[in-house]
Amino acid sequence: MFNYAVRRILISIPVLFAVTVVVFLLIEIAPGDIADFFINPEINYDEESLQAIRERFGLDDPLPVRYAIWIGNVLQGDLGYSFLSGEPVARVVTRRFLNTFELMSAALIIGLVLGVLLGIFTAVRQYSFWDYLFTGLSFLGIAMPAFVTGILVLWLFAIIWPIFPAGGTRTIGIERSFLDHLQYLVLPVFVLSLAQIATFMRYTRFSMLDVLGQDYVRTARGKGLGPAIVQVRHALPNALMPVITVVGLSLPVLVVGAVFTETIFSWPGMGTLYLSAVNARDVPLIMGLNLFIAVMVLAANLLTDLAYGVVDPRIRYD
Amino acid sequence: MTNPLRTLIALATALLLSASLAAGTLIGAFDVGPGGSPVPSGPWYNTAGNTWISKMWTPLVSLNETASGLSPQLATSWEANDDYTVWTFTLREGVTWHDGEAFTADDVVFTWHHAFAPESAASPERRPADLVGQEAYSNGDADTIAGIEALDDYTVRFTTAEPAPRFPNTLTQAYILPEHAADFAPSEFQTTDWWFTDAVGTGPFQHDAFVPDESWTLVPNPGYWNGAPQLDRLINRYFADETAAILALESGDIHFTYASGDVAVGLGEQPRFELYDGPSGVTNYMMFNYRTNPLFDDIRVRQAFLHAIDRETIAEVVLNGTAQVVPCIVPFEAYWPETYETYDYDPERARSLLAEAGWDSSQRVEVKTYYGSQFHADAMAAMQQFLAEAGLNVDFIVDSEGYNSYFYDGRNWEISYRGLGIDINAFPYSFYERGGYPGSEGDTGTLMGKALPELEAIFAEARPEGDPEQYRSLMQDVCAWQNENALEAYMWTAVRFGVADAELEGFYWYPAPAGGPYEDHPERWSAPN
Repeated sequence: MFNYAVRRILISIPVLFAVTVVVFLLIEIAPGDIADFFINPEINYDEESLQAIRERFGLDDPLPVRYAIWIGNVLQGDLGYSFLSGEPVARVVTRRFLNTFELMSAALIIGLVLGVLLGIFTAVRQYSFWDYLFTGLSFLGIAMPAFVTGILVLWLFAIIWPIFPAGGTRTIGIERSFLDHLQYLVLPVFVLSLAQIATFMRYTRFSMLDVLGQDYVRTARGKGLGPAIVQVRHALPNALMPVITVVGLSLPVLVVGAVFTETIFSWPGMGTLYLSAVNARDVPLIMGLNLFIAVMVLAANLLTDLAYGVVDPRIRYD
Repeated sequence: MTNPLRTLIALATALLLSASLAAGTLIGAFDVGPGGSPVPSGPWYNTAGNTWISKMWTPLVSLNETASGLSPQLATSWEANDDYTVWTFTLREGVTWHDGEAFTADDVVFTWHHAFAPESAASPERRPADLVGQEAYSNGDADTIAGIEALDDYTVRFTTAEPAPRFPNTLTQAYILPEHAADFAPSEFQTTDWWFTDAVGTGPFQHDAFVPDESWTLVPNPGYWNGAPQLDRLINRYFADETAAILALESGDIHFTYASGDVAVGLGEQPRFELYDGPSGVTNYMMFNYRTNPLFDDIRVRQAFLHAIDRETIAEVVLNGTAQVVPCIVPFEAYWPETYETYDYDPERARSLLAEAGWDSSQRVEVKTYYGSQFHADAMAAMQQFLAEAGLNVDFIVDSEGYNSYFYDGRNWEISYRGLGIDINAFPYSFYERGGYPGSEGDTGTLMGKALPELEAIFAEARPEGDPEQYRSLMQDVCAWQNENALEAYMWTAVRFGVADAELEGFYWYPAPAGGPYEDHPERWSAPN
């Protein structure tokens, strides 16, 4: 497994390089001039100021030169400065990533735990009232867009019944505290976890039903084992394989965030950062974000593959 | 396992504690809306956000309460020589920086040398008029700017490169920096953390805490020359979206935010909110590109566009009364002639004019715009319908990101639905002058591809005019000419709104372009306990 992991990491390097080249080209071929963002179209702008902007940000250098300068700096650990804020890209990405990771991992954990539990619950009670109820709710959870749920939840629990704050990450002006921070986390995590619960519930239910129909499970029951032991010890580990796949596919979300939820709840995360970077044609920030996200996605994929080997002893990587 | 009751009590305690600590604290979303800065910013490289920036730093002059004139700030008076090339400013005595050091004329001279240094990254949205020797200094050909000198501790003399009757108007965003404390290089204007950590200014408030992406907290400057502020703290909260700010206002988390017209009108009807409004200073209009469609050169076609659209109904009904129809590019009534053509809604007249001009009603015309807001989407939908009924088939194409590049190119658009921010105190007409915009060239080198010698003659007379009344009269002539010749299809100017907690006392907000700065007396503000 170690050799496999090393091989995967080495293969990732040219993949990352290719990702940066593609993204750089996409920004370049997008319509419009990058310097456009710095011009307020409602105010007269003169050519001199426009050219000064291009020179200041190196926008009038040839494309290969600009890319070479960027990649050269990256290899020295310098991701450059954001056009928009002037802040070092590495610093702003790190800060936003930590915010996003906290939010998304909380939602993922809650979604995974509750989703798996509900999936098992509905699978062993197939065609019961509870099965139909939770299945119906899961469809609602998957179908409802996050920005609709978010605004609804915010309106209900921050305005109509002001139990929670209407956005942000902490109360301004007081000492940082976990409990204070927790109250800001509740609503966005609730909104994000709804879709996660629904998704994991559906996958777990389907997988459990498939496994519960297998011969070895029938044999376990025939041996006189109780329902709990049959479901948890014999059925569940095998039913979790597809769930691991879904978890692996969900890991990149821990990095890229959820732009609608972050916007509505004023949670300064990667999603809103990426959106503002693209809108502003903030090339250093876009490149830095893409590089960071690509590294994280490749790492998540590797972790998922390695997790298969842990869960299923039959899988070998050598 | 945690005791749920204890957790609940701890939560309740945190909430109560936070509420009590908010006494005398005003929290606003000062950078939401068109006048706000898209990212927290210091002065001299900000694109807007002057309402907030002016809480810490001060220019020599600012706009007055209604952005219709100037208000003295670090300068108490100013005078010019006969040809408006030499301006002498008398500075306010007794002003101290936040660290207690005295403000003097040397700080003004330093600021100019710092902002216009050869490697400076300062890029002021509103650029002060060029001084003598400024270009040579910026190019590294001179060690100092010859056109600025401190005559004594409280007198500064500026010598402009060309006659500048409205030179003071170009200084409203030229915030003065401390010579003794601005320890960042000119190349670091945009990258330095100084603005957010060690900032020193002369404003009513001084830096306390900056939380990136979330908030900027200021505390009163007890030595402020106009009186120590009453607030305990002034906080700017950052929101990615206006909706999030509105929700925060409605939940009581903040005391103020900008709000779009349709939202503001609804909030203003609630007794717990107070509405602030004013003209946006931006005229929305359709500019015709005479290069791409020669028929636009026919005044009958342009008049048809104006008669085809029921502008009054759109302003009153579609835009909820949050817009005012305008006769020309300038949205301020002081610059309108006493009488002008109103181009009343008359689709029959429009059809008749088009027929006379030989307009082919089967052709479709692209109207490009960068406006993506609901306000403009509603207006454009109504405009399109009205125009279609008169035989003018248009398609509105929204292109927010690439707008400037094709617009200034001159060949890639037929009609542009756009806005132009007019500063009533400046000379705003470069769009109509040959060579007045990026890429303009040739005899027809105005933005719309048509030389306007009659307008240029008025501009030539107005530019050096220093007498306010005479200047206003000439601007009225410009408006009259534009209106009479239907140079463009002038639509309306929008009203912009701010919504604040009604319990705030002394609070004032005005939708000044780019956030001003304007005279808002923050030292008088107080928030509910």
